[in-house]
Amino acid sequence: MALASEVHALAGEPEVLPGLRAGKVAVWWFLASETMVFGGLIASALVVRLGGEGWHEASAHLGVTLAAVNTLILLTSSLTVVQAFAAAARGDRASTSLSLALTVAGGLAFLALKAVEYTTEVRAGYTPASGIFWSFYYAMTGLHALHVAAGVVVNAVLLVAGRLRTPQRVELAGLYWHFVDVVWIFLFPLLYLS
Amino acid sequence: MTGSRAPNYVAIWVWLVALALASLAAGLLPGGRTVTVAVVFAAATVKALLVALNYMHLRFEPRLVHALALVPLLVVAVLAVALVPDLVLRR
Repeated sequence: MALASEVHALAGEPEVLPGLRAGKVAVWWFLASETMVFGGLIASALVVRLGGEGWHEASAHLGVTLAAVNTLILLTSSLTVVQAFAAAARGDRASTSLSLALTVAGGLAFLALKAVEYTTEVRAGYTPASGIFWSFYYAMTGLHALHVAAGVVVNAVLLVAGRLRTPQRVELAGLYWHFVDVVWIFLFPLLYLS
Repeated sequence: MTGSRAPNYVAIWVWLVALALASLAAGLLPGGRTVTVAVVFAAATVKALLVALNYMHLRFEPRLVHALALVPLLVVAVLAVALVPDLVLRR
């Protein structure tokens, strides 16, 4: 499957470099700032983890099963959103809609499971004030969940507003969604497996 | 990705799922917690690279986009190193 440079183009949008449109550079700039936000949190958590602040003992109270299912959901939604782009690039509107719908469903399922997890932990007495691990846990997963919710909204808009759904916009929405997936790829081992 | 052949997205997904399952099984490895932590973070790094290079199409992008992806990671690395004295001096 060859994806031609035209699919990146939005009519009238300037090119920063040949074949590289301004919108994509803007999204990568945005992701760069997001990398520093989450990277700062993850680096700080790693330092605390290495400092032996009872991280592992607190982490052992988390349910790995729900988080593992959520990991599989996000990995799969990364597949569906990139398939939405591929379908949009070849002009297959039905496949684009189906892939975007699956991506939105994956994001909603992730948030629902996260809500179940939060409820279980709070009922067990583990709140953000219960210790340094729990402060990091709620801050990092809460911020990540907000990003998932934003991604769901973006993909839902592309799903229902067919007029806005250019291949380039589907690709840019996908870039953001993959970033959210990559953040979770590191949060999962840091919080649940270490 | 200008006129390039797209990656096999499903094959990449299979690798991602396999690495996720391997991370879950890492606790069964001999060698204790240090080995487990090393394995799960190595698997996470490979997964992140697979997503960035293939799903985010970084391997098809020009150097400007590579720089936008790498420079913030360097900043984060500097931050992590800057935090190490706090860890060492506390002991």
